[in-house]
Amino acid sequence: MTSGVVSERTAIGDPVSNAPVVAYEKLEEVFEDIRAHPLFDHELHGCLNCGICTATCPSAHYYDYSPREIVQLLWTENLEGVYDAMQEKIWSCAQCYTCAARCPFENSPGGLVMIMREVAIKHGMQSAKDVLRPFSRVLLKVISTGNQLAPNMITREAFPDWGPNVAKVDAPLNILRKAIPVPTMHTMDTAWEVNLKTSVELYTIWEETGVLDQLETIDENLFDVVSDVMDEKRDEYNEWLEEQQE
Amino acid sequence: MSRPVLVVGGGPSGLSAAHALAAAGQRVVLVDKADRLGGAPILSGYAKLVPSGEWARDAIGGMVRRVETNKLVEIRKGVTVKSFTGSPGDFRAMLSDGKTVEAGAAILCTGFTHFDSVNKPEWGFGTYPDVVTTTQVEQMFSSGKGVRCPSDGREPERVAILLCVGSRDRQIGREWCSKICCTVSANIAMEIREALPRCNVYIYYMDIRTFGLYEDLYYWESQEKHRVKYIKARIAEVTSDGKRLLVKGEDTLVKRPISIPFDLVVHAIGMDPNIDNMTLSAVFDVKLQKHGHIEKASTYSNMSESSRAGVFVAGAATGPETIDDSIAQGQSAAMAALALVRSALLEAAE
Repeated sequence: MTSGVVSERTAIGDPVSNAPVVAYEKLEEVFEDIRAHPLFDHELHGCLNCGICTATCPSAHYYDYSPREIVQLLWTENLEGVYDAMQEKIWSCAQCYTCAARCPFENSPGGLVMIMREVAIKHGMQSAKDVLRPFSRVLLKVISTGNQLAPNMITREAFPDWGPNVAKVDAPLNILRKAIPVPTMHTMDTAWEVNLKTSVELYTIWEETGVLDQLETIDENLFDVVSDVMDEKRDEYNEWLEEQQE
Repeated sequence: MSRPVLVVGGGPSGLSAAHALAAAGQRVVLVDKADRLGGAPILSGYAKLVPSGEWARDAIGGMVRRVETNKLVEIRKGVTVKSFTGSPGDFRAMLSDGKTVEAGAAILCTGFTHFDSVNKPEWGFGTYPDVVTTTQVEQMFSSGKGVRCPSDGREPERVAILLCVGSRDRQIGREWCSKICCTVSANIAMEIREALPRCNVYIYYMDIRTFGLYEDLYYWESQEKHRVKYIKARIAEVTSDGKRLLVKGEDTLVKRPISIPFDLVVHAIGMDPNIDNMTLSAVFDVKLQKHGHIEKASTYSNMSESSRAGVFVAGAATGPETIDDSIAQGQSAAMAALALVRSALLEAAE
């Protein structure tokens, strides 16, 4: 670039929207994070614009969401469109991957949405915060115990926030769980009671894989709570170790 | 006198090669695994051909008669080649009926196999009787019975033709374009509109490849003269509400999924490599290319050569091909084979 010439990139904005203007550099940064994802080239090979993904997509029936549009935005490197889709649309995907099973090019629109969600979280987008807020209790349980719930916990009393529909669950879940043809370690009674060593190992995984960083970006309060739980468990574990040495 | 040329397969390219060789005074042994000659256009009962509009039984049937009445062509029907040994100018073929053919060269005109739509179960073939293939529609025309819904024999009022069934689909390992289906579908659509003026015909496509001179004669004319509707969408599923077929696709303009009712759904099936290609590859010691078609040795210098000297190849054996191009390739391979057997003859005389 010629010295002295400053490239003036005007920020991109929607003239009929009140949404704050997003700097072009920010759009580039977000897109580059998506494209640099190790799975990106595996999920996107090109696009014939045939629409079989959208035709088969259950979410497209109910929401303003089209997997073909997601693929096209990424393939044509439409930075504004990609950023815009991350504000709401990507959270409509149910991650069923029927699109990937049908695409004649073997693209995976569902996989691309997964990447976009990761990047939305990394950038602390408000859409990610809004979507995940109702799940803070689930997140707390999954992160602190490694699992969310056991079948016998699904009762109206245990989940008042799930609304009246939870009362309709009257299947013999304990029996059904025993019919699962893989070992379930009989966790139905002990789902939230996790071995100390397992817990500590789990926390290491959360830290090493960046899950905790993501949580801190998205929900600082929950991060604080989880950190307290982790510290507590680690203290307990260290105490137990010391006891063993004595 | 030179040894005959063995022509394997009696479809358009094989008939063309046999005729060309005989016209040049060369003896030919023509073998076909079927009990009649003509190949796919005759055996599968094609109706009017692109681009001439002639009936297959007249056009290809004429080629069959021309070869069958030629004294230089010896025809063995209902047999296959079991082994093929020797070298250029001096080959020996063992046939399935136990007989032996000594040949100076061979031309593989072994064609293709129609894609079996059962391999795309979500499109309803084999589940719903009113989901048919382009081949079946050809048969409806060539039999004189006309296009009817197989379930109850009624005249369809709404027909959907789905393109690229068994083509351009990595999910099922068919990564090639079958080349002919767009034009064939436009042709069929116009024929349906002529036969049943009240019937609406819709063609669902990813791209339209009515290549070369077929653009205006088929793609444009089917729209301008026959009001065939082209919709850019790949269909996700064909289901039924109990009365009519439901075709689930995306309206790509408004980006919304839609379900549309139809009386008849037609799969524009593609051209697979011949199901016998693995056997042919072993018997004739010729290589197959990546998709399973018989590999051509050279694109430019000698287009009829296979990977084995003295064994030539023509027509849809090398990949999806039109009838008229198959006929041209049959002649081309005949010329290459003729040059070989004549030079072998000259060498023997010296």
